[in-house]
Amino acid sequence: MPTAASSTSGARRAVADVRHLLWFRSQQVRRGRGARWIAAAFVALTLGAAVVPAFMPGAGASGGRSFEILLLLPTLMTGFVVLAGVSAVASGGGRELLARDPAQIHPVSPTTDHLGALLLAPLNIAWLLQAWTLLGATAYGLGPAGLAPAQIVLVLWLAAATAVAQVVAWCLEGVRRLSRGIAAVRLLMVAALGAALVLQMNGALVPLLDRIPTTWVVVGMLSDWSWRWALTALVVLVVLLVATALGAVPAHLAARRTPRDELRVETGTYAARRLPRSALAGLVRTDRASVWRAVPMRRGLAVLAIGPGVVAVLGNLPWSSMTILPGLVASGGVLLYGVNAWCLDARGSLWRESLPVGPEVVFAARAYVLAEFLLAASMLTVALAATRAGLPSPAELMALLCTQVVVTLQVVAAALRWSAQRPYAVDLRSARATPAPPLTMVGYSTRLAITTTLTGLVFSGLARLPDWQVSAVVAVPFLCWSTARLLRTRRAWLDPSDRARVVMAVAA
Amino acid sequence: MRDWEGTSPVVDVRGLHVRFGEVEAVTGVDLRANAGEATALLGRNGAGKSTTMRVLAGVVPPTAGTVTVAGHDVRRETLRAKQAVGYCPDVGGLVPRATPWEHLQLSARLRRLDGWEERGRDLLERFELGDVAHRVTAGFSHGMGRRLSVVLAALHAPAVLLLDEPFDGVDPIGVEATFEVIADARARGACVLVSTHLRELAVEACTSVSVLRGGSRVATVAADQMAGEEGARAYRGLLD
Repeated sequence: MPTAASSTSGARRAVADVRHLLWFRSQQVRRGRGARWIAAAFVALTLGAAVVPAFMPGAGASGGRSFEILLLLPTLMTGFVVLAGVSAVASGGGRELLARDPAQIHPVSPTTDHLGALLLAPLNIAWLLQAWTLLGATAYGLGPAGLAPAQIVLVLWLAAATAVAQVVAWCLEGVRRLSRGIAAVRLLMVAALGAALVLQMNGALVPLLDRIPTTWVVVGMLSDWSWRWALTALVVLVVLLVATALGAVPAHLAARRTPRDELRVETGTYAARRLPRSALAGLVRTDRASVWRAVPMRRGLAVLAIGPGVVAVLGNLPWSSMTILPGLVASGGVLLYGVNAWCLDARGSLWRESLPVGPEVVFAARAYVLAEFLLAASMLTVALAATRAGLPSPAELMALLCTQVVVTLQVVAAALRWSAQRPYAVDLRSARATPAPPLTMVGYSTRLAITTTLTGLVFSGLARLPDWQVSAVVAVPFLCWSTARLLRTRRAWLDPSDRARVVMAVAA
Repeated sequence: MRDWEGTSPVVDVRGLHVRFGEVEAVTGVDLRANAGEATALLGRNGAGKSTTMRVLAGVVPPTAGTVTVAGHDVRRETLRAKQAVGYCPDVGGLVPRATPWEHLQLSARLRRLDGWEERGRDLLERFELGDVAHRVTAGFSHGMGRRLSVVLAALHAPAVLLLDEPFDGVDPIGVEATFEVIADARARGACVLVSTHLRELAVEACTSVSVLRGGSRVATVAADQMAGEEGARAYRGLLD
């Protein structure tokens, strides 16, 4: 029977285990000048976001833009909780500190797993970008006076929001593992999205956002070193501690049940189809099965495709700004498996490599299926966003089409390059699996986010021009550059030694 | 007579070296195997057995030396060599989210096989995989995966059958079925290479045994010389 003493010792043991696992994972991270530069850049960016905007012109003014930003802070902070929650829910309770297979032989408790997932949550570009945005917005809105106490509460808020999101994610993962749980969670998601849409249509969303409790937190964090500030900091700290401890409960409940969606994929039958017409068609079919039958890919893609689309509908995004969406979705989609694309075959890669087919056909199939996967997601997002945007002008439509093609090619070229440079043996059965280690994923996502956002912004500007041909002309150098990079990766793949290195790594 | 039949060895390995960065996995293996014979590769972990098999399957290119399979140089005529080979890798060997039937379809498509379905079904039944032919392999046990890997290697009745650890974790029925596959292959004149740690099974299934140590071959003897207690002592002597 559990007692208070045994729970305490269990928690202590879990914390110690997290420390051991972190040490173990840190041994696998490349050390040296590159790693030190990355760490320094991360600290500099965070400090820069928290301090520099406070000294910019107009920062902390009692009226104008900085004041408007302060008014928006409660909504931004709520948005952070929602996105942290969506991310944790989509990944089935958050990322694993130690992958499932190697963890099986160790006595890793669900509490350790929960704490590990919590620690890994910030190693995600969406989390980081939002955190930096919130730190920057607070600094700009407030100016230098009272900045330190405000940022202390905000950092506590970021941690507390992540912990609360983790609790929600474990709870939903527990429900998902019940009989008919998958349907229940899907229904819940549809209901939540529907409710948001109805509120927006009736003009009730903004008044609702004005009444959210984050306003109380913002008032407290802007109160300089006062009792009100201290009370706010204490409340947020308590929420953080309670949510961190509480998360272990649903984590234990979820761990006792079998993940039904994985089980359904692994025990379900797939009717035989006709023999594919060509070698390429056969390889494409196998690759497609590897992608669409994987739980993390299906779940991740649904979130990526629908989430930004719904946000665009709620925000009434105009056609000219819609060029941001394909890059956003493609960058997220490729992180589901594309950055380590050869891991799809896992240990089957040795057998596949022994089949008598040219490596160029294998490469073409993999690139095609990846591009198709990304296009499917981003086109769904754009279709959702378009439902409220009216009819586009020819220039807007052409800019969007060009962005779609350009960013897809950019992302496919980058992903296949990284896949060949740094292959990892990864089991993508679990919704919690990632195709590369967390820090590497942060690096990939940062580079993708920068490239695709800048590309989207270029075409967003072109969408405002009267002449639709300009977008097509500007797209040409982008396409040439990405095609050249893709062909260079293909050349490397055709080299038997390079290919063997990749195959052996993913089959390890 | 098919082009791989004749007096010259079907598998001819001379001075094979394989290097992965700083590690030299194979340090000068010489090996010959003939049509209609089954050769076992024995040796300790890291002796270079699996790497040699991967080179023969065209998965890993040789760093140095010459390797011909069914008359094709694996370095220059890789696709032709792959066409002649049926390979069961030592680890996994299955695409996790494809079904056994989809594996067979892919192999049949890439090898341009006609009328393969009956043989495919027959092999699946012999290895007791008929009931799971349309289930993804991610949910398979280790033994089921091994058995399917042997089926995939044997589907096209290859000139060279390479079985790397085919008995590992396999139940007696699967072992019997693998013996049958090896016997069938020998009967139709194929060359079989079996890499395994299970000496007794190797002796039972094969005609000769080559022992590898530290990345090179130290002996090739008739299989019966490796049988029983005396064979075990001889084998241990070759490993030290």
